[in-house]
Amino acid sequence: MAQNVVVELNNVYLKSDRGGQVFRDLSFKLEAGGTAVITGAAGSGKTSLAELVIGLQLAQSGSVEVMGETIRPVKAKIIKRNRRKIGGVGGIFDLMPSLTVAENITFPLVLSGERRKVQRERLLKMLTEFSLLKQAGEYPRSLTRVENTLVQLARASVAHQPLILIDEPLAGLDRKTYQRIFEYLISVSLSGRSMIILSSDTLPQQLPNADYYQIVDGALV
Amino acid sequence: MSRITHILKELSRNLYRNPGTALGSFLSLMFLFLLFDLYWVAAGTSEEFYTRLLSQLNMEVFISEEVADSTLPAIEEAIGAVEGVNSVEYISRPKAREELSRLVGIDLLVGYDSTNPLPRSFILNISPEYLTTVGMAGIETEISKRPDISDIFYSKQWLEKAESTRATIRNFGLALGVLILLTALISSVNNIRLSSRARAVGFHQMRLLGAGRFFLAVPFLIEGLLIGGISAAAGWLLIYYAKQEITFAQFELIVPTLEEILIFCGTMAMLGIISGYLGIRKLLR
Repeated sequence: MAQNVVVELNNVYLKSDRGGQVFRDLSFKLEAGGTAVITGAAGSGKTSLAELVIGLQLAQSGSVEVMGETIRPVKAKIIKRNRRKIGGVGGIFDLMPSLTVAENITFPLVLSGERRKVQRERLLKMLTEFSLLKQAGEYPRSLTRVENTLVQLARASVAHQPLILIDEPLAGLDRKTYQRIFEYLISVSLSGRSMIILSSDTLPQQLPNADYYQIVDGALV
Repeated sequence: MSRITHILKELSRNLYRNPGTALGSFLSLMFLFLLFDLYWVAAGTSEEFYTRLLSQLNMEVFISEEVADSTLPAIEEAIGAVEGVNSVEYISRPKAREELSRLVGIDLLVGYDSTNPLPRSFILNISPEYLTTVGMAGIETEISKRPDISDIFYSKQWLEKAESTRATIRNFGLALGVLILLTALISSVNNIRLSSRARAVGFHQMRLLGAGRFFLAVPFLIEGLLIGGISAAAGWLLIYYAKQEITFAQFELIVPTLEEILIFCGTMAMLGIISGYLGIRKLLR
């Protein structure tokens, strides 16, 4: 895989737990700094694609490479290392209920062993950027759905993760929040970081540098 | 927040979010260990009691009537050379009479001054390691080979009974120990499994973000270590308190040494770590 490719799936076949075919010969490539918007009906395999990328599922055949590393069951360390480079929002990703908002946001920095000073600076930046200063000490159970999404976005950005994986980012949002999150998506798209957006609906506005795909019958078109 | 701070916070969350579970686990382990400690003290005390009684156990070797007094020093020397014999004391007929008078309270042999019927004998003091049924029987066999010996006596039945009792105490202690350790392990594993299950969602999310198994496991391992170690130590503290408050006139309670107690508490702390690992093993898969 070339150095500038962040995610590459080649001829992936994946079966669901129930035995149904999720992906048939699925191939996909996301270059560094690129954005891929993948749409598909409910149950088409969007979340399975996210799970393949973070190593939660393993393909029956074909290869999955993330950040230059092939995802294999025996390579638990590689999967762990890769996960730290991925900022996940929505879908399988959620907040940790026993941690406060501030602790949730800084968790990727704790894992990467960042100094406290850096953690504090980045946390303050994220809390300000996502208007979460008031909620910093609260626990996820007291957050609204929108606040929850904002905290996840802050967590996905705090460690400058090179890849952001967003599952249904705009579903059920009010107009104001929708616009705000869409602006965030644009800023990520222009920041040189890579992004995969998984959505049931097509995005109403175009994102810069984005490639658009649709999952149809287990393959990307 | 450093990783260590995060781990310590997770540990404190485990404890203060589920104080009932943690306290229940601590108390149940403490009382289990206390039961074991009490048995340990009882076994140690009874062992000391038996050892003291055994040290008073002698073997009496009676000399044949036809043996001349002049050959006694040679016989005494030969018996003293038998393996396991510590020392030999000769008991002459007059001394035997004195002993009998002392035991009975009156001289039963008045009028038998010239024909004292009591036999001459040797009292053998036996080395502590030979104060067993096998050891004593070996000495008896060795000495009984001599033609100048008429009879050998020691409290054989009492020795057999004592050995059997000590073996029973030892085996019961072993079985009790295994049973208590197993119960403590199961109880501790279930406690940690309960508290970790309550946080399964957070665990899963942490793993999705790249947290390693060790990072997630450490707070639970420390919890197991603390509960195991502290409850074992608390059991001994209760024993020490009781020992200071209660005194027995006939015997003294034998408490294990500080080193033994520390080893015990350390072992229980290790058991706690094992139970911590077993408790979260499934969540780490």
